[in-house]
Amino acid sequence: MPGWTDPKSARVSFDDWLELFDRVPDELIERYHYYGNNEAWSKYLFPPQMFAVYGMRHLRRLKFDNSLAALRMWGFVQNETERLFRARQTGRRVIATMGDLGAVPVIVNSYPKCVAFYPDCIWWTPFAMESRVLFDAAAELGIGDATCFSRAALGAFAKHSYFPDPDLVIASTGASCDDYSGVEQLAERFAREMLWVEVPMRCGMGPMGPMGLMLVKEYERVVEAMARLTGHELTEDELRAGIRRTNTVRKMVSRLRELAFGDAALAALEMMVIEFGNLHYYSDMDEWTAVLEHLLATAEGRTARGERMLPEDALRVVWVTPPADPLLLTYVEDAGARVVGTEYVINQALEIMDESRPPLEAIAESFMAASLIGTSKARTQSVIHQARKYEAEGVIISGILGGSHCAMEGRLIADYVKAELGLPVLEFDVTSPSREVARQIGTRIDAFLEVLRGRR
Amino acid sequence: MELIPRATFEQIRSERVEEIAAARRQGAKVVGYFCIYAPVELVRAAGAIPVRLMRGGHAAEEAGEQYLRADACSFCNACMGNFGIDPLFRQVDVVLVVNTCDMMRRLPESIERHFGIPAFQLYMPRTSEPLPHRVAEFRRQLEYLVVELAKLTGSSAGDDRLEAEIAAFNRLRAALRQTSDTRRAKSSLLSGSTMLDLAATAWLLGPVKAISLIEEVLRIIAARPRADAHRPRLMLGGSMLTEDDRWLLDMVEEKADVVTDILCTGTRWFAGDVPAEGAPLDRLAWFYYGQPCMHRRPNDGLYEYARQASRDFRVDGLVYKTLLYCDPYAFEVKRLQEALGIPVLHLDTDYSTENREQVRTRVEAFLETL
Ligand code: SF4
Ligand code: SF4
Repeated sequence: MPGWTDPKSARVSFDDWLELFDRVPDELIERYHYYGNNEAWSKYLFPPQMFAVYGMRHLRRLKFDNSLAALRMWGFVQNETERLFRARQTGRRVIATMGDLGAVPVIVNSYPKCVAFYPDCIWWTPFAMESRVLFDAAAELGIGDATCFSRAALGAFAKHSYFPDPDLVIASTGASCDDYSGVEQLAERFAREMLWVEVPMRCGMGPMGPMGLMLVKEYERVVEAMARLTGHELTEDELRAGIRRTNTVRKMVSRLRELAFGDAALAALEMMVIEFGNLHYYSDMDEWTAVLEHLLATAEGRTARGERMLPEDALRVVWVTPPADPLLLTYVEDAGARVVGTEYVINQALEIMDESRPPLEAIAESFMAASLIGTSKARTQSVIHQARKYEAEGVIISGILGGSHCAMEGRLIADYVKAELGLPVLEFDVTSPSREVARQIGTRIDAFLEVLRGRR
Repeated sequence: MELIPRATFEQIRSERVEEIAAARRQGAKVVGYFCIYAPVELVRAAGAIPVRLMRGGHAAEEAGEQYLRADACSFCNACMGNFGIDPLFRQVDVVLVVNTCDMMRRLPESIERHFGIPAFQLYMPRTSEPLPHRVAEFRRQLEYLVVELAKLTGSSAGDDRLEAEIAAFNRLRAALRQTSDTRRAKSSLLSGSTMLDLAATAWLLGPVKAISLIEEVLRIIAARPRADAHRPRLMLGGSMLTEDDRWLLDMVEEKADVVTDILCTGTRWFAGDVPAEGAPLDRLAWFYYGQPCMHRRPNDGLYEYARQASRDFRVDGLVYKTLLYCDPYAFEVKRLQEALGIPVLHLDTDYSTENREQVRTRVEAFLETL
């Protein structure tokens, strides 16, 4: 990047990161804009301090990748709320897609001037803010504590200030978790219009093909609803272009996963942000694609130079279900481990779509790989595959107390992993937002890593 | 005095369990199911014995926690425990599971892993709008169920047998409705507790024997004089109430009448009939697809059911009991209260017995407000 050379790769503290930002030349700050716009309001390369001041207190306790690409990524991601309100102000339609984690936005983003976002991803906000305010708002509406953190999305709907009131809510349900299906049901009262979409179950009776076709019919309803909303008849070419763009993102993320898990070119925290970007590209697909290109160039460069974000001898673990609290990833890496595989319930968003197929079929087919719609045994296969590929030494399953699938599958996944790979498994529940990792969890992680070390 | 003492029901049920065990020794197959979405007509038409597995219980719940996490719902944990200890559960050859809530959808994997009992897993769309492609997928699932049942029993359900079972179960539903409807009267002779016992027993006995039992109950009701005393009229709701939750009804009915419910172990079990016109599998698909439940999306159907029941039975209040970690029902308490506009007592408990006195205090306080 002209005017900039990344320092030797390292995970740095918030304060070091701020210092780093001071060295970023103004031309670079001026260079990055969202929505392909050149106005001052669409810049996003801001110092992390700014987001911390706005309430993202957790940032001060994490460790970050010290590259420009990572600074840019964080600026872009943290700016999403503002971006969504700007989308509304600049005449874009804002569509909330809920519950399917990956497929419906492919359709929505193929429409001109439409932005899809996942309220689901608000679940990190209480952690980032170290605040219960969204959970309390959800509780007011009926969803109390003993359930998934995704309930924060309901609180956000009620507050009307974390994203603009959507023009349309597309809520997927079916073979989904009860937690989020319940959130969707209670969010309905805030929706101007709500379209319910059925997502099938991979382990029903009979062959799976017809279920994919049923899903195609559901996607046709999405297309119809979008046509009603926008007055635009989507052409097959537009949808194909949408699939191609999505595949570009998915392929880059796939390569980033290889570089991170295989060569430690990126750390777990940034990788989590990157993987979840596959859901909705942080509400601006083109700019997110550019951010990913930047990250990819950085990671490839590191690998070519033999630079690593984490030491060669770090313990290798696969992480199952999102760690929910970013602090946990930082903690585990500080304690001498690194993440070499993830099963973050978003397999469907990592699948490459077949561009030669009729577009809706290609989207449906990729969705059939979804983590949540099959058995725990099938989900474990993805864990096992990655654990073998990257020679993992242990598996961490972070659950959520009262999360419907966590309660039913946590033990099964642990059993299957132990039986098939003989690897130690650590299972714990993530606690509520706080400034530090709960002592009990920290102790268990330490003891677990000690076991892994002892097995070397 | 109860119309039919609990002990009588218990006796009938334990005799039926013996009968089932004997039939099984002769080669009959037993299909256990958990939910009103299981098409019992198909099971019986294939020559298998359908049994609803609706026991809870503290010991079972505790036993279940060795297989599932403690934050699996109390019912799922109790089911796992009961496969080890309950005589009816132990007769089951295959479980028939419909993907209703997420926990139920996932339960068969644990049942198979720990008890070696395979599952027929029927996918029914969770979205409630009966769009043709959704109902068609559910119908396709039913076709596969027919094939799997035939493999299990070695006997396939021809249309004639299926028609006969549909008619028999429709008669049973009608008889249960008629019985339940006696509670519309100003002063009800039939307690909510007896009604739940009767429904559970009826489904275990199968249509023919059950109908004669119900006719006997109706005769007793007709012969009894009605009392004048006006007591609060209550509706029950929430997660399923099993045989092991009768203590709650007994407690409530010391001072109030439970005149209706919105439970899947209560009136929702027999609220409608399989329609008369069309091919049998089509009719079953439409019928089961149309059953309202809290887990459906949107779940307006159950709200409408609740409003209607509340009006028809002139209900003064709702006792809404959820089981711990039952999201589909627990999330809806506040919304339901708003929608019905009647006082609601929400009890969120597992199957443990220690909190009964606390529950009694809350029940009494609630009844005083009515
Ligand atoms: S983490 Fe699990 S329980 Fe929470 S919303 Fe996602 S799928 Fe549902
Ligand atoms: S509806 Fe509730 S109680 Fe019943 S199985 Fe599902 S979670 Fe458990």
